[in-house]
Amino acid sequence: MKKLSYLLTGVLVVLMLAACSSDSSANSEEDSSGSSGENQTSDTVETGSVDTSVEATGDEDVLLDFWIHQTGEDETNAYIELIDAFNKEHDDIHVNAEVIIDDGASAYSDSINAALVAGNLPDVMAVDGPYVSSFAEAGVIQPIDKYIDKETKSQYVDSIIQQGTYNGKLYSLGAMEASVMLYYNKDLLDEAGIEPADSIEGAWTWDELMENSKKLTTEDRYGLNLFMNYGVGEWLTFMGAPLVWSNGGALISEDGTKVDGYLNSPETIEALNYVKDLFAEGVVTDSPGEMQFEEGNAALALGGPWIAVSAEDAGLNWGMMPYPYKDEKVSPSGSMAYAVTNNTENPEAAVELMKWMTNEEATIKISKATGMPPAQKSAFENMEKFNELPWSIMKEQVIQTAHARPATPAYPVLTDAFAQSFHAASLGEDVESVVEQQVQRVERELKRFEE
Amino acid sequence: MKGNSSSAKQLTDHDHYKAPSEPSIRKVPPKRKKRRKSQAFQEAMTGYFFLAPALILLGVFLLYPMGAAFYYSFTDFYILKPDDISFIGFENFSYIWQDAQFRQAFWNTVYFSVIVVPVQLAVALGLALLINKKIKFRVFFRTAFFSPVVMSLVVVSILWTFMYNPNEGLINQLLGVIGISPQPFLTSPDQAMNSIIVMSVWQGAGFQMMIFLAGLQNIPNHLYEAADIDGATSWQKFLHVTLPGLKNIALFIFITISIAAFKLLVQPMIMTQGGPLGSTKSLVYHIYETGFNYRDVGYASAMAVVFTMIVLTITIIQRVLIREERG
Repeated sequence: MKKLSYLLTGVLVVLMLAACSSDSSANSEEDSSGSSGENQTSDTVETGSVDTSVEATGDEDVLLDFWIHQTGEDETNAYIELIDAFNKEHDDIHVNAEVIIDDGASAYSDSINAALVAGNLPDVMAVDGPYVSSFAEAGVIQPIDKYIDKETKSQYVDSIIQQGTYNGKLYSLGAMEASVMLYYNKDLLDEAGIEPADSIEGAWTWDELMENSKKLTTEDRYGLNLFMNYGVGEWLTFMGAPLVWSNGGALISEDGTKVDGYLNSPETIEALNYVKDLFAEGVVTDSPGEMQFEEGNAALALGGPWIAVSAEDAGLNWGMMPYPYKDEKVSPSGSMAYAVTNNTENPEAAVELMKWMTNEEATIKISKATGMPPAQKSAFENMEKFNELPWSIMKEQVIQTAHARPATPAYPVLTDAFAQSFHAASLGEDVESVVEQQVQRVERELKRFEE
Repeated sequence: MKGNSSSAKQLTDHDHYKAPSEPSIRKVPPKRKKRRKSQAFQEAMTGYFFLAPALILLGVFLLYPMGAAFYYSFTDFYILKPDDISFIGFENFSYIWQDAQFRQAFWNTVYFSVIVVPVQLAVALGLALLINKKIKFRVFFRTAFFSPVVMSLVVVSILWTFMYNPNEGLINQLLGVIGISPQPFLTSPDQAMNSIIVMSVWQGAGFQMMIFLAGLQNIPNHLYEAADIDGATSWQKFLHVTLPGLKNIALFIFITISIAAFKLLVQPMIMTQGGPLGSTKSLVYHIYETGFNYRDVGYASAMAVVFTMIVLTITIIQRVLIREERG
């Protein structure tokens, strides 16, 4: 008996000390930017406590915590300049920005998840466009319609408003758009006597893409590059979903609640079979090198705006064409955007910051830093680059054919389901059975949101 | 929220803690027997005091997360709605049996372990034997074989991803020299797991080699001399002197490799993202994805609980086997 009580008291002491130590560790780990959720949680606790202490001293400043994602240094510097300017311009608002590395996988969303569970979200945060709806559905971010007038809203390109809208309410605004262009190696096309398209009207059809890719494929070079080296992830949905839309299909029902009959529709299957054919014909490889297109080892490439930058850097004689189509002309769209969380006490100031970060001046600055198309219509008009070939094609595409990815709270699972299907098609699997399996997965996830 | 509840617990714990200890201190002990008891108590407390740092760390970073995972496995915890957790009984566990991805991940993990464990064991032993001989450049070889262990597994995975590339990778270029066409090492569902196995054996064997080496040097030299006198061939010496001498070490390595193999995560995460067609998705990776990418912490916790049971079972079976071997 006695032994047991010793043991018990021992355990209790340990528990007691544990409770103390977890408090003190949260205070001591100020600037550790470790990757574990534990660290990040205590990180934000720290910022939170600074906030309240400043408010308590009677300072009337509104303090806004702002999380931005970092993908490249130029981009981050542009953000920081914009935020400094905002702080200078607004005497009553002070923005405290935190840059979180976005490794393209899950580092940024891990931070958001950790803060969510701990209840320490910032006032404004960067969110990837298609994820807006799942955050909105869960009440993590709030609608901003009442702080935005119609005129301001109309200045953004339609696709930015489309990606930020869920259930008829506007939740997010972005500074940049994105797109996918059909890049080509001018020398190789000349050699093969193939005429590139130089406007949306002249866009290649699926058949033309197939034929020309075949013609351009030789012993030591591929006709087309689909950047399968990015892995099975968001890229495949971003780049591949327009094939489905162009064929009159959809990934999910309009209201985002049903995939059966959409993800496995004949239109979707036909589009995936087209992908399957491209790979079966050997015009594209599932494991291209990082610089396959830039080094002239692929004649065509369906790539993002950043490919223009890297092709230019590599000294390639390149050009770009619009995204190929079947029936309807559509093109990929959507990028990182900003949203106001439900954690904020000053939604008005938070929206003010969002507008600042996405106004004409800001979008031009960020477009210059990243090569991405701007999200403001006027920015397109005022940037010379986008009014001349070949960049004017990207502008036309963003304004005329951009199609946002579906708005559904189940997006994280839906995008993986499509990416897996696309990848299976590239490997020559039976598209129909793969798609059926994925439909079951997404339907299970959708049940979570039925109420 | 979490902070509040734990500090509340801290208070009550404190009260409980005082209650049993107070009487023993207040009553001035008239007899030696009692004093000895309080002395023993003090000694025990001192012991716990010294144990405290380790126990606290264990509690905070091991016991608490394990308890939390066990609790969450019976709930529908969805990361985006942390305040809306409801108890759903065994629903998560029953879904495991319908989850085709879990089944695939389970068999992938079993396949990986069943191959990696014996191969790595054999390679490590082979390397240790080689290095134990008095050959030239012995130190160089030892360093070379051990260096993959020192490198971060993430770095190693990225390097091997480059080497496996069908178009520009080193291995395929070498194969090209001897006339073999490029192999889709990581992009073919049939080859991807085997490619990961090869890389994993190469990466891990160096560490086990060092342990084997220590074991080899522990075998008394007079046993070999006696065998020489009896006219044993080197194969006979290996079979009847070296192997029996390494038995305990081999079993230790066997268990550590098995557990490590079951926890396969980094290689598929970096090299294949679990693909192609899920052929390299491991159990831990599936749990990770479910929890963090699809935010379904409840279901991920349930799978983690089941995973722990599986590893525990395997370890117990191995323990039983060891006891038999020793007896």
